[in-house]
Amino acid sequence: MSAAFSDTARRELEAILSRYPDKEAAILPALHLAQREFGYVSDEAIVYVAGLLGFTPARIEGVATFYTMYNRKPVGKYHLQICRNISCSLMGAEHLIEHVSKKLGIRPGKTTPDGKFTLSEVECLGSCGTAPVLQLNDDYHENLTEEKIDALLDRLP
Amino acid sequence: METVLTTHFADEQYRHVDTYLRFGGYAALRKALSMPKEQIVEEVKKANLRGRGGAGFPAGVKWGFLPKDLSRPRVLVINADEGEPGTFKDRQIMARAPHLLLEGIAISSYAMTIHVSYIYIRGEFVREAKIVEEAVAEAYAKGFLGKNLLGSGFDLDVTVHRGAGAYICGEETSLINSLEGKRGWPRIKPPFPASVGAFGLPTIVNNVETIADVPWIVTHGGEKFASLGVEKNGGTRLIGVSGPVNRPGVYELSAGVLLREVIYTHAGGLKDGKALKAVIPGGSSTPVLRPDEIDVTFDIESMGKIGTMPGSGGVIVIAEGTCMVRALSVLMKFYAHESCGQCTPCREGTGWLAKIMGRIENGQGREGDLELVLDVCDNMMGRTICPLADAAVMPAQSFIWKFREEFDRHIQDQKCPFGNKF
Amino acid sequence: MPTFLINGVVAEVPEGMTILEAAKRIGIEIPHYCYHPKLSIAGNCRMCLVEVEKFPKLQISCNTVVTEGMVVRTDTEKVKNAVTGVLELMLLHHPIDCPICDQAGECGLQNYYMKYGLHKSRYALEDKVHKKKVQDIGGQIVLDAERCILCSRCVRFLQEVTGTCEMEFFSRGDHSEISIFPGRPLGNNYTGNLADICPVGALTNKDFRFKCRVWFLKSADSICPGCANGCNIHADFKGDILYRFRPRQNDAVNQTWLCDFGRLEYKKANEDRLLTPVIREGGQSIAAAWDAALFATALKFREAVEAHGPESAAVIASPQSSNEELFLVRKLAKEVLRTPNFGFTSRTPGDRASDDFLIKADKNPNSKGAQLLGFTEEGFDRTFQAISDGKIRALLVFGNVLADFTEGETGRLLSNVPFVAHVGTNNGALSRAAHAVLPSASFAERGGTFTNFAGRVQQFRPGFPPRGKAKNDIEIVAELANRLGAGWSFAGEASVFQALSASEAPFAGMSYESLGTLGQVAGGSE
Repeated sequence: MSAAFSDTARRELEAILSRYPDKEAAILPALHLAQREFGYVSDEAIVYVAGLLGFTPARIEGVATFYTMYNRKPVGKYHLQICRNISCSLMGAEHLIEHVSKKLGIRPGKTTPDGKFTLSEVECLGSCGTAPVLQLNDDYHENLTEEKIDALLDRLP
Repeated sequence: METVLTTHFADEQYRHVDTYLRFGGYAALRKALSMPKEQIVEEVKKANLRGRGGAGFPAGVKWGFLPKDLSRPRVLVINADEGEPGTFKDRQIMARAPHLLLEGIAISSYAMTIHVSYIYIRGEFVREAKIVEEAVAEAYAKGFLGKNLLGSGFDLDVTVHRGAGAYICGEETSLINSLEGKRGWPRIKPPFPASVGAFGLPTIVNNVETIADVPWIVTHGGEKFASLGVEKNGGTRLIGVSGPVNRPGVYELSAGVLLREVIYTHAGGLKDGKALKAVIPGGSSTPVLRPDEIDVTFDIESMGKIGTMPGSGGVIVIAEGTCMVRALSVLMKFYAHESCGQCTPCREGTGWLAKIMGRIENGQGREGDLELVLDVCDNMMGRTICPLADAAVMPAQSFIWKFREEFDRHIQDQKCPFGNKF
Repeated sequence: MPTFLINGVVAEVPEGMTILEAAKRIGIEIPHYCYHPKLSIAGNCRMCLVEVEKFPKLQISCNTVVTEGMVVRTDTEKVKNAVTGVLELMLLHHPIDCPICDQAGECGLQNYYMKYGLHKSRYALEDKVHKKKVQDIGGQIVLDAERCILCSRCVRFLQEVTGTCEMEFFSRGDHSEISIFPGRPLGNNYTGNLADICPVGALTNKDFRFKCRVWFLKSADSICPGCANGCNIHADFKGDILYRFRPRQNDAVNQTWLCDFGRLEYKKANEDRLLTPVIREGGQSIAAAWDAALFATALKFREAVEAHGPESAAVIASPQSSNEELFLVRKLAKEVLRTPNFGFTSRTPGDRASDDFLIKADKNPNSKGAQLLGFTEEGFDRTFQAISDGKIRALLVFGNVLADFTEGETGRLLSNVPFVAHVGTNNGALSRAAHAVLPSASFAERGGTFTNFAGRVQQFRPGFPPRGKAKNDIEIVAELANRLGAGWSFAGEASVFQALSASEAPFAGMSYESLGTLGQVAGGSE
């Protein structure tokens, strides 16, 4: 199966390219687009973006593997990214991570067998005043407690 | 107390241009466009506005590093990569007052004859990036950005550029490399960004809050801004308080506010009446303070005298009953995870520190481990391309120096005296 | 030209020079890995830290430009501790592969460890980060990512020199790893240089893998015989077997690089050699003594010339021969045999590819020399015509191939000539068609000069005496000439070159001394 951007994504990329003096600067935005289009940054996506922008796949892979938000492997429908840094830890993040881990039956870094949830430990999300915090796909959920997390997870379709 | 930034933060509509205008928004830009550029820079210098990203470099001085000759176009890059643990203030500015940032960008760009600006927002701030993009669109529509700003003949293009998850990209040359589409490796200096920056062009990188302060400075004058703070540290700053306090959050306070006041007056003291055990004053990379050291004002000079820094203004409060070994282990894992890997001392050193601290935390500490940690720290400090290594070293050293007994006991007893959990 | 003080020594250096380069110039070694004179400055290894007065922190000398009055120290305790500290960190995850690693003996980590380290590891074995070993990443290279010190020389080379960018860093922190993208191996003609520039055994050459420990190798300064570019090389050998080429720096020719084809040219000196004179009579090949072979050859030429005139003799020179040899071959043809039938061609069978870097379409090292010394393609065409017309009774042919002819074409052409004497190094169509085979010393077994495509006259030196019974061509040609009454007395290639430079205008004023290690451009070549 060969990867390719939808027309919408291609137009977005065109618009992005026009904002920079060098097409190289479109690499990070293009990878975000690729992740959105293909669900994750696959090998095919890497080769596709490389061809689109005129760089070698190695170059694009170097960028994709440097930044944590580009998933080189598929993630579940819901990516639970729980902050484990200092302020969140002081406010009980470890207990929450244990709790979610038990509830979903997976260790951090793993995906549930039905592909619904991926659990990750992440570093500071920049919302320390409302710790503990997690990022579910794109959205922040703050001031977490075990109850809140249970409610959040249970109502996800 | 007079507020520079947060005056209208509570108004949910303030992020929209109509409400922003109603509250006097973009009047400073109008005023600036009729001022000589050098005068704007003068006001920023008089304001004693120090960079709010963590390094505290005087903004007016930094602006002066741009070459006098205008033959090569220049770039203003806004550092919205807020990633320093304990710091969450720029998020507030972007989500609640994006036009304040944009007005600051417009004025600063005009003052420095810059026609292109990029706002580099950390990738995780998806919502904030959307809000800022909407504000940018509104500003273009109203003629506050784009061609011929307010009929002045001055053109300015602003683009939002999202990062993708890397703390190191908060370092200005790493950010520039990331903006250019590369791995976020900091650059060796010289050359400095003001001569060779983004796309090879002279570039100024400033923190969100620093630039957001500029409209007020233009409206009220640099001296007035300076007077809100203390000598050499002008104005107010956004101080975030996190940890087990009663009122965690972001507070706009004088740059010379007392740390004790921040914790006990504004943040309401510690929850459940607990005693203070330690506090990190300016984001995780600043040396930790003991409870007997919190009678210090938030400015760089005063904090410097007691061996720490106000940094990014991220106050992290640690209560009694917290294991300092575990806290340090959390931080060492963080720096090891975020090291870009480019240069030897940081790449190998942060990994080593994390491994040793992890072992100690798990009750497998060995005699000589703390001396080893401090020795590794000496081999990292000041030896690297960027300060990430120093940022890892400062908590490691200060935690061990100030809580040595606790670390020794953790090793001797081969277990956590606090039961291995926070 | 700023003047500065380094370790108490005053030195004046060109404007813009870094401390590292300046130190190198005056013989002070500052340890380093990531710096390479032909690549951009990376500044990531942190080994070259030095003390500079007025700077509170140690500075990397590779990126600090010398300014007037600067005071630098590389020999203080502070600097030594820093270097030892960086080295320890660099060795943290390094696998103790020395017993099986090709780099041993020329390894940056070994060398600096002996000089600045000698410490015991404080890092637990079980904590070591493991990475992929023994990866064939294409070209001539094997990658062992675990040995890599992440100096980025390879990545910079592929960006800045070949522009092909096949390798990159993946991941970050101490899990950073150099690699190719899966399925996209190295695809340029300069991959061998990666093993040269890699300071450790992370990138090693497939061809050289496990073949020989480097401390058993000796080295001769030579010139690659693979094409007309004349890349300067070190020819490494043990006994009388060549093991590899390494590039030798010559900024006017090949900087510090060598192409992958040239890198394997050494094999020709090892394999399939002509090592003993052979006489073929009535379909039978007999190994002969030199005396007999030379006598038989001289006799055939004398008979042909006496019976049918000088036009019945022909000489085909080779652009594989040195300037010295070609000078004597021309003397033989013009002054001794007095034949009009002599020439050379630069055509060779097979690949004629070239690029805009080092690789030239002409796969001979000395076509230019042949031209400057009076041999022409027209001469070859004329001789070829004479042979085809059956007019040649005795032919002396040098080299291992005849133009770009196949074995069949060569055999058919030479069957028109009753006596063919072949002077060459390797078995091939020529040696199989010849009536007398006079084995020649390879470029590694003799000395001389080649003239590259741009007219640069460069010396190559022997590593070891000729193998088997092979002889230096100068000796062979002089022997033949003298048996035909020439009365020459040359004592080695230096004396031939002396005569050559005295009589040939393009080489006027040259001597081996003036050529030095970098060569000189022949007159009228611009």
